[in-house]
Amino acid sequence: MFLLADNVWLDALLRMTIVAVLVPVGVILLTWVERKVIGRLQQRLGPMHVGPFGLLQGIADTIKLMTKEDVRPDSADRPTFELAVFVIVVPVFMAAVAIPFTADIFVRNMALGLFYFLAVSSLGIVGFVMAGWGSDNKYALLGGVRAGAQLISYEIPLILSAVAVAMLGQSLSLYTLVELQDNTPFIAYQPLAFVIFIIAGLAELYRQPFDIPVAESEVVGGPTVEYSGIRWSMFQMAEFVSLVLISALASLLFLGGWVWPFGADNATWLQVVLMVVKTSAFILFFMWMRVSVPRLRIDQLMALCWQILLPFAFLQIIINGLVLVYDWPSWTLTILSGAAAIAMGAIIYRVARRSGVLYQTSGAAEQVGLVL
Amino acid sequence: MTIKSEPFVVNVGPQHPSTHGVFRLRLTLDGEKIIDADMIMGYLHRSMEKLAEERTYTQNIPFTDRTDYLAAMTGNLAYVIAVEKLMNIEVPERAQFLRTIMAELQRIASHSMAIGIFANDCGAWQTPVMHMFRDREKILDLFEMACGARLTLNYMRIGGVSRDIPDEWMPQAHKLLKELPKRFAEYEDLLLSNEIIIARSRGVGVLTPEQAIAYSVSGPMLRGSGVAWDIRKADPYAAYDKLDFEIAVGTNGDCYDRFVIRLAELRQSLYMLEQALDMMPSGPVHQRLGTSTVQPGTQPIAPLAFRPPVGEAYGRIESPRGELGYYIVSDGGPSPFRFHIRSPSFINLTPLKLMAIGSTVADAIVILGSVDIVVGEVDR
Amino acid sequence: MTYEEALFYVIAAITVAGALGVVTARNVIHSALFLILALLGVAAVYVLLASEFLAIVQVLVYGGAVTILILFAMMLTRVRDIEGPLDGPQRPFAALAATVFLGTTVLAVTQTEWRGETDEATVVTIEQIGEALFSTWAMPFEIASLLLMVALIGAIVLARGEEGE
Repeated sequence: MFLLADNVWLDALLRMTIVAVLVPVGVILLTWVERKVIGRLQQRLGPMHVGPFGLLQGIADTIKLMTKEDVRPDSADRPTFELAVFVIVVPVFMAAVAIPFTADIFVRNMALGLFYFLAVSSLGIVGFVMAGWGSDNKYALLGGVRAGAQLISYEIPLILSAVAVAMLGQSLSLYTLVELQDNTPFIAYQPLAFVIFIIAGLAELYRQPFDIPVAESEVVGGPTVEYSGIRWSMFQMAEFVSLVLISALASLLFLGGWVWPFGADNATWLQVVLMVVKTSAFILFFMWMRVSVPRLRIDQLMALCWQILLPFAFLQIIINGLVLVYDWPSWTLTILSGAAAIAMGAIIYRVARRSGVLYQTSGAAEQVGLVL
Repeated sequence: MTIKSEPFVVNVGPQHPSTHGVFRLRLTLDGEKIIDADMIMGYLHRSMEKLAEERTYTQNIPFTDRTDYLAAMTGNLAYVIAVEKLMNIEVPERAQFLRTIMAELQRIASHSMAIGIFANDCGAWQTPVMHMFRDREKILDLFEMACGARLTLNYMRIGGVSRDIPDEWMPQAHKLLKELPKRFAEYEDLLLSNEIIIARSRGVGVLTPEQAIAYSVSGPMLRGSGVAWDIRKADPYAAYDKLDFEIAVGTNGDCYDRFVIRLAELRQSLYMLEQALDMMPSGPVHQRLGTSTVQPGTQPIAPLAFRPPVGEAYGRIESPRGELGYYIVSDGGPSPFRFHIRSPSFINLTPLKLMAIGSTVADAIVILGSVDIVVGEVDR
Repeated sequence: MTYEEALFYVIAAITVAGALGVVTARNVIHSALFLILALLGVAAVYVLLASEFLAIVQVLVYGGAVTILILFAMMLTRVRDIEGPLDGPQRPFAALAATVFLGTTVLAVTQTEWRGETDEATVVTIEQIGEALFSTWAMPFEIASLLLMVALIGAIVLARGEEGE
């Protein structure tokens, strides 16, 4: 690791500034990518008119959003309403600090990086709840409650699947975990944890099929409903940065980050290419999911988390514990975890096939005075 | 787990993306659970029934475009059938077939929208709608060729249709009919067995056959509840008695069944269209109205004003949404004495309270989507 | 004054401000939000004490989970600003309880024999914490787990009972 400045404090400040500048630029580009990708998937063209291939659309939108009036509802709780945005954005940027993008490019290589990332990103929930309550809007409140319930619940399988990987690598440092994957990425040993991580990651990003807190057709944007202009764009930025971070984390934990498949000491440019390719693959997957699937209902979402993902996440940890304690060969991990992943898929499939909660219609009939 | 909380009133609409217009649903919630639901209609009331009493019979046809604006053809058709019954007009064979073809094309266009929007209400982010729009656009192209308009068509006339189709119409229609089965197979593949759609709509918003009949719902909602009632079979109009088709019937009466029935009806409409295009006779497309009519010289086939005999008539058809009826009372003057629309959207909406209570907010949106309302028709 | 000292005073001030906010805010939601601020301030103090693991656990458990549940419970009930003074005839009892608590805390702080050097951070690695938790302190750990389990089952039973009515 090289220092950007002699003083440790100045160095940290410089690095944070670089993150704070680069990230919004990246987000502007990413909005363009998402709109293009989704446009293609929906047989539309996406942005076309601003700049070549509509590339400058993101900048035009940014200018528009920044010059827009910052509307605050009269009855909103002012401090809560206004601070909520920061409570959402700041943790996202704090989390970005922990992610090493290559062996040399990172802000801080923390011994507890993985744990830090998961803890800090959990703070964003407070912002959603604040926005939901502070807006004094029923949809926002409903969305805020949904966001709180969903994000808290899905944090657990997310953390447990990350813990499974940490067990295997015997470290909580993302740097060490990546360096361990120079021969085989952890996805080969932990398919179950990988699947759980991706599902829980989708839920943490509240993207389809888990976009319940912001569901446009139900709660019309949920906590974000009353925000406009620059504050609304902060929500968007937080969403896109989290998308990149979760994708980057997935590629670090499961796909070998900048190491696999070219070994630990490849050139920096190659490391950058590897990370960009892997992270983009996850980002595109999340975008693809967004336009491909409908939304679950909140009770189905909770059932998926507590009845399926959580037990299987524990199962993965137990498998890892057994293999590590009794020193079984590593291929047993692949087989056990793979079998468990298939079992989980089969259970989800079967439940989905026969599901649909049947309501007691007779009770409702009496309520409206129609008894047949 | 139940979280006991204070009842909480949420107004879904009049401005809400899922009410498909300006319809207002007042939900009383306990957490996410609906304990009471009230429908408040009338935000789009344009007083059509009263306005129609001041205009001549021909001038009222454009009004019928603007009730159910997603199915203007069937709106036209129901009205002209009512007036033709009143005046005892025989419509030429070719016009009957043209009406049938246009009505079925309209049904495909309308059901495509309904299915796409239903998937949207289930949470699919616009993709189904966008894909469904492809077919709808092509059908609207055909309408444009036939009558010059795409949405408010004003194609039917009392005694026939406004004009014959141009020569290029038939080849393009045949081309579309060849394309559509592939598209329908794609939709069935993607939507019919989609686990999340099943999870969201099966067992949700159940309406038993008895309840459905008691509320006098019609169309895909009634058939979804397992009642094989289709006016095209029960009281054939236009050329439906010459066509072979089946009625799709559901078993559970839930949102999923209504959705499946719309998908199945796309296939049936296609089958009918294939037959109708082959059987289409040649001949005039408009019956000249009798001597009692006042015909301005320049427009022989579309008289602006005429005086039907004193009497009343009820013309009904199977619109994409259900039984669409026009009840017309004539006092012998040039405009109707009473003009009433029995709009399926309005009547299908009435059991919403029954279906919504006990379910969740998310379900209420799905139920509303499965009813497939057009607010222009609900409020008239 | 070193950077660390300056930082400590800033953080301590924020923490105390948060704690004061909890008891003085007129709106319970604001109180809960101040509580989060105070708890995060404590987490920052842990970082200054070189106990990163403890700090992260503090953020994860208190910042992201416990306080959210408190907020949740309050959001679902109708919250309005509290008018007028909050105290009543129970004032002497409250004063007594507060004094006893303060006394206990002061005693605990002064009487404890603090391990480690005063001018040097004692770094405890996560391995040491894990080892201590699962060997030396295994019994209390298990008892705590059991207690939580009982609480969990109790909550389920209560929720079930309500549903059954």
